Amino acid sequence: MRNKLLVTTSPHIHTDESTARIMWMVIISLIPAGIAGIFIFGRDALWTIFLGIISALIAEGILQLLTKRKVTVLDGSAVLTGLLLSYNLPANVPFWIPIIGSFFAIAVGKQVFGGLGQNIFNPALVGRAFLVASWPKYLTTFPKPLSYDAVTSATPLAILKESKIVEHISYLDLFLGKKGGCIGEVCIAALLLGALFLLLRGYISWHIPVSFIVTTGMLTYIFGADGLFSGDWLFHILSGGLILGAFFMATDYVTSPLTKKGHIIFGIGCGLITAVIRLWGGYPEGVSFSILMMNAATPLIDRYTKSRIYGTKTRISNEKSN
Amino acid sequence: MKNLIKEFLKGIIKENPTFVLALGLCPTLAVSISVINGIGMGIAATFVLVGSNLIISLIKNFVPDRIRIPCFIVVIATFVTITELTMKAYFPPLNRALGIYVPLIVVNCIVLGRAEAFASKNNVIRSLFDGIGMGIGFTLALILISSIREFLGAGKILGLTVIKGFQPAFAIGMPSGALLVIGLLLGFFNLIKKENK
Amino acid sequence: MNTAVFLTIFISAVFVNNVILSRFLGLCSFIAISKQTKPALAMSLAVMFVTTMSSIITWLIYRFLLIPLDMTYLRTISFILVIATFVQFVEMVIRKIAPPMYRFFGIYLPLITVNCAVLGVAVLNSDMFFIDSKSVPGGFLFSTFQGICVGIGYTLAMLLMSAIRERLELCNVPKALKDFPLGFIIASIMSMSFMGFNGFRF
Repeated sequence: MRNKLLVTTSPHIHTDESTARIMWMVIISLIPAGIAGIFIFGRDALWTIFLGIISALIAEGILQLLTKRKVTVLDGSAVLTGLLLSYNLPANVPFWIPIIGSFFAIAVGKQVFGGLGQNIFNPALVGRAFLVASWPKYLTTFPKPLSYDAVTSATPLAILKESKIVEHISYLDLFLGKKGGCIGEVCIAALLLGALFLLLRGYISWHIPVSFIVTTGMLTYIFGADGLFSGDWLFHILSGGLILGAFFMATDYVTSPLTKKGHIIFGIGCGLITAVIRLWGGYPEGVSFSILMMNAATPLIDRYTKSRIYGTKTRISNEKSN
Repeated sequence: MKNLIKEFLKGIIKENPTFVLALGLCPTLAVSISVINGIGMGIAATFVLVGSNLIISLIKNFVPDRIRIPCFIVVIATFVTITELTMKAYFPPLNRALGIYVPLIVVNCIVLGRAEAFASKNNVIRSLFDGIGMGIGFTLALILISSIREFLGAGKILGLTVIKGFQPAFAIGMPSGALLVIGLLLGFFNLIKKENK
Repeated sequence: MNTAVFLTIFISAVFVNNVILSRFLGLCSFIAISKQTKPALAMSLAVMFVTTMSSIITWLIYRFLLIPLDMTYLRTISFILVIATFVQFVEMVIRKIAPPMYRFFGIYLPLITVNCAVLGVAVLNSDMFFIDSKSVPGGFLFSTFQGICVGIGYTLAMLLMSAIRERLELCNVPKALKDFPLGFIIASIMSMSFMGFNGFRF
């Protein structure tokens, strides 16, 4: 009932056109990483990305038709979800993985909440979490970089988790992407290029990525090796999905807090959880889980970091201590 | 007699404890990983439900109102203990599979809920039929949910593989899958209800 | 040694095996009360208090009464009676000391008795920290700590959920999914994300 008056969805941009524009800008900024991924892993990567995007579009179209809502597949958000989901997959996954993943991401990650702007969780990560939980084998088998055949290799973080020693891989290789990993996460150079574009044009702000990356770096520096303060923080920053996650997924407007203070809390939370999982958890990488958990906390963060101008009463803790 | 049949049937569809009254969800989600477990829990809960409904409707006039809840709980707990011991003795693998959810039948909202809402206000025969109906409704709900979860999550039904080469989605067998399945089922039943209006 | 065990209990009870999102204990109250933050927080703190105290009392009863008298089969009955009595006691105390708070809780205070989480953690403690009818060394502290952590896990899930649902009030969710179904789906995603802490080893 209240909804009839609500004409905008978060982030309160005036016309649908602008929301679409932002989506497409983010998509464009992700293209370098995709090209790099295809170059490093071959045709499989292209195929996976294609399937991810197409399935997302079809899923959104079908669901919007079924629920008798406006069909908005061209606003770029479904494409972005499909793109991000496939960037988070190994290039050599069976064809049905990106299809199911995208469907799940759009259906459960987005449409059940009412569509664009209303989801609590990052849809691409919801899809990926479902895939990781359901078919772990396929989500953790990575092709060897630059070999274009069926040989597999483990990611640097997986090797670290298994044997506690860092693989003999150079920082340059880590930076350029000559390592095992998901399609869109490996080429840090390409990702940073896109991130720079978004930052300069003002589409994302530095608060979340910086607080996220710095927190993870600090914690892995302090606790990452046998003695204190001797961890290889550069290795950690250049490995796994940290750069992809911090710049392109944690910064999603809809699922992150509204205020700058909230952004910093969000970033620190993500960084903390990522570091804890990498250092002591069972999984080698924790970026996706950490972002989802902080997504869940975002409404709570918003509630407590909103300004007090409305004369709202003091917080619950004060009331209860009476 | 017609009334009794009505009491019995309402527990199965119109007032199904799981999908309509939303009671007893804790064990439903936990044990619905395989159909065998679902049936086992359903039978155990039905036994307790029928037994406690019976006794409580018998003693309802002798129980002082202020301590009626603790009294009901003692009655229920007794039946649960009987169930627990019987399971430990004759069905050890099922007992291990159901784990802490067997003693937790004591606080199963369905049992206490029916005791408070029905058995304490109706005669023995009607309470009996109510108990059986609710128990069967609960068991049927369990079977529905666990068939979905066992098939999609482990590729089997009753422990047998159904389709060769089917790659089950393990997440469905996990807690998050349980919550997802029941959320979607509840939404689905809501949709049907609305269509019928 | 000890810090590692306590840390493991903490991570396990709060995240990996979260009482609501993983063990499904306390679901009824979770779905019913988590629509707003204030009642959710109040309920969580009350539950945490009860889980802690009942962990202590039930451990003592199990160790010093049921085992020596060889009556461990009376575990369920005695535990639930202890919990029911304790909640009744808490109810009376609150009614005396802070009537507004008593009115605030309303019916939800007695409902803590049948909150699966409370009986659940008591049973869990006796399963985990007693082997062959003998107490594991340090079992008392572990049980108490687990009681506290279960309360924390409950509070965490409730707080997150209530803030989320408050926000969703402003969104136009598909009608068939409003309230309960969406609540479960959100819980499902939260549960998936908490899985990230699986295999935690300190």
